[in-house]
Amino acid sequence: MWLIFAMHVCGLVGTTLVGRHSMRFGLATAAIAPAFAGGWALFNLTSSANRIYEFTWVQSLDLGFQFKTDALALLMVAIVSGIGALVFVYAIGYFGPDAKPAVRFPTALLAFSTSMLGLVLADSVWTLFIFWEFTSITSFLLVGHKNTDPATQAAARRALMITGGGGLALLAGLMVLTNTAGTSSLSTLQPVTGTSATVAALLVLVAVATKSAQVPFHVWLPGAMAAPTPVSAYLHSATMVKAGILLMAVTGGAFADVAVWKVVGFILGVASMFWGGIGALRHRDAKLILAWGTISQLGLLVTLLAIGSPKAVFAAASILVAHALFKAALFLVVGEIDIRTGTRDIDKLGGLHRKMPLATAVAVLAGLSMAGAPPLLGFVAKEAAIEAALGLAGIEQILSVAAIVGGSVLTVAYTVRFLLTVFGPGPDTAVSQRRWAMTAPAVTLATAGVIGFFALSWVNSVIVPVATELNPRADVYKLKAWPGFTTAFVTSLGVLAAGALLGIVLARSRRSAPEALGAIAADATLDGVLSGARHITSRVQHGSLPVYLATMAGTVTVAAAVFFYDISFDHVRAWDQPLQLALGLAIAASALAGAFVSNRLGAALTLGAVGVGISGLFVIGGAPDLALTQLLIETIVVVGFVVGLGHLAQSFPPVDRTWRAVRIAISVLGGLGVVAALIASTAEPTGSPPLDELAAQAVEEGGGNNIVNVVLTDMRALDTLGEVVVLATVAVGILALAPTKKLKKNRRPKQNSRVVPS
Amino acid sequence: MIATRSPVVRLGIQAASPLALVAGTYLLFAGHNQPGGGFAAGLVFGAILALRTVTGLQRPTGANVLVVVGMAAVTLVAVAPMLTGNPLLDQQVVSTTVPVLGKIKTGTALIFDIGVTAIVMGLIVALLDGLGADKLANPPAPQPVADEPTSESVK
Repeated sequence: MWLIFAMHVCGLVGTTLVGRHSMRFGLATAAIAPAFAGGWALFNLTSSANRIYEFTWVQSLDLGFQFKTDALALLMVAIVSGIGALVFVYAIGYFGPDAKPAVRFPTALLAFSTSMLGLVLADSVWTLFIFWEFTSITSFLLVGHKNTDPATQAAARRALMITGGGGLALLAGLMVLTNTAGTSSLSTLQPVTGTSATVAALLVLVAVATKSAQVPFHVWLPGAMAAPTPVSAYLHSATMVKAGILLMAVTGGAFADVAVWKVVGFILGVASMFWGGIGALRHRDAKLILAWGTISQLGLLVTLLAIGSPKAVFAAASILVAHALFKAALFLVVGEIDIRTGTRDIDKLGGLHRKMPLATAVAVLAGLSMAGAPPLLGFVAKEAAIEAALGLAGIEQILSVAAIVGGSVLTVAYTVRFLLTVFGPGPDTAVSQRRWAMTAPAVTLATAGVIGFFALSWVNSVIVPVATELNPRADVYKLKAWPGFTTAFVTSLGVLAAGALLGIVLARSRRSAPEALGAIAADATLDGVLSGARHITSRVQHGSLPVYLATMAGTVTVAAAVFFYDISFDHVRAWDQPLQLALGLAIAASALAGAFVSNRLGAALTLGAVGVGISGLFVIGGAPDLALTQLLIETIVVVGFVVGLGHLAQSFPPVDRTWRAVRIAISVLGGLGVVAALIASTAEPTGSPPLDELAAQAVEEGGGNNIVNVVLTDMRALDTLGEVVVLATVAVGILALAPTKKLKKNRRPKQNSRVVPS
Repeated sequence: MIATRSPVVRLGIQAASPLALVAGTYLLFAGHNQPGGGFAAGLVFGAILALRTVTGLQRPTGANVLVVVGMAAVTLVAVAPMLTGNPLLDQQVVSTTVPVLGKIKTGTALIFDIGVTAIVMGLIVALLDGLGADKLANPPAPQPVADEPTSESVK
């Protein structure tokens, strides 16, 4: 398994190298690793060795990666990597033979594929979370492929914000969940109950809804159709949107006893199922129809997982597979139509069944599978879903059956409408040459749906272990090719008939597509937040140095207020040596002078005098190192002032009376606060410092007699390291801001240009 | 600036430069057993650089080089022990006998200190560059328009 990750990493490097010279070979290079992973998963599917792979990074912090290869993980790898490899092949055709060499697209797509692989194989919830976020970021890059188009930019940003926000909810949810469950391993997760479980369930559901495009977070998915079609086929039908479903499936066991999980999940799922179906019936862009159809299908999956009965979980696993196959195939066909005719508008498409017979065949096969018509995999899966709903009792049964039947009718309707309007009669569309790289993957996926139906026993041997993992009582179910005239079958037929009728009627409708109100609202919210943030920042960070200083001093005063309780004069001595008094008086005098001097340079010098006085106190106190450093610092600071003040006027600008009063008040209070804190710190001496120990250690381990320096460079060297890193960062920051060098560089050519003509 | 016009200040700083160099180096090496150390040494070097700048004397300008060298030295000392299985920043003490100086005890902490010195110097040089100290010493002919009058224009 590590080999597969290593291959993906090598693939990433290889793709960047090859993609620089040719887009086609770059994509081909990228396809190798997923093809291998997909093959490996397919080969191991029926004989899944449930193994845990661990890579520990920091033992004490329990940091590391945990992966597992159980039936569900392998099935997801087969889908993710198998379809991934096909999509790479398809992309070769999509971008055509004249595609410019590009590194970003193939690399980002492979990076996404790798993140998805990590996500589905994750055993630790933290591993899952990390790869979850990776998919959000890489999908942002992929959706924003045409990065010069403002609409695409907005769509990519929307997708990132919504899925990223969901990621935050997921992080919070997982923290609560692991805290409650006492484990972070998905395979040992036990059912949780109580308030914290409810909170965790809600947070995880938010994450599910954002990633799997459930109402009301679905708004990013139609916008994400701005991505190139290979991306839509891969991310937005087969893989990324399934991440939410996967999350819901693996945490479903833990939340089985949480009422909110079921109710909210059910509402989310049903709302998405219906709203997605309605959306798919209203839009006139073939790709958008599919996107809304995906929302609807994901809604069905969420509904089934929310119901959570063994049969429902089993049905969800079947639909997951069927949906990945048919929806990816449909997207691939739409992409092919887009490339070969130049449009995806169903009003401009017509007569394609004659001009693109193979694509039509693929679309019909995949479409029928989506509608749930026999003899296809989609049919048996849908049958299982209806049976699952019928198997419930009471109010649950009525609601579930109504929801699934209603959703299925809509599904059939938009499928029929899609097929009729895209491939049926209409304006004669010009069609360009077929590209085999585009056709072959779509054909593969569509025939897989047919083969799946006829090789149902093999499909069962794959799906049953998966469902059993998610719900141990699901092992009694099997997909049946011919169920007999059961209630479910009759319902299926009724659904097909009603849906077909609705679809035919709506296919004739010429109503224009609805506006993307949800997306507009999401963008407006985002813009509002951004401008609000800008507003607040401009208020808080207004750039006035005196106000910043006043804020800091004020904060110090407030923070020191707590010390007023601890003040005791028991240990306060006037002085140890008379020299201290003299120095103290000198310091106080300099400080006072600094406050009254109106000349800037004078003020800087008085501050220097204060510093020098303090280093004198250090000398008396017996801290030569401290005194030396302090003295040097003061020298540099005064020189710095001299340099810096050269740019400013000699005197301070006049200050109005109120502001001056405020400043005086804050200074006095700040000073009092520091004094209070110092006196309070002497009130309770905490034994003498371990001087002897330190000295011994310094000589023994550090090999030096100066304790201070040995502490700095050896015992607490990590602190020093951190400090010098800060210093270096400041230096780099100053260098970046400093205008001097740039000015010089800019000035030189000008002078030269003047000189050269003469 | 007064400093650029006064030959006494100028000459004084010129004469002080080698002294500061010696003093800083002494502090750097003495630090292990007596007051001093990398930070103090860097400050001494930095101070003399600052003084040279204000008086318009030559000084090194490669702040970035100093910072990079310093960070490299510090990181090296920090990470190197890990390669041999020791904890981060573990110190190695070396005692050798050198002909003239006699027995010398030193360690990797010295390299660490040199790194600190370089970073502190780099920071000061960067600050001098950032504050436009060169321009004060040798003001360019056209003054940029500023909100507040500069000291030159006041004079």
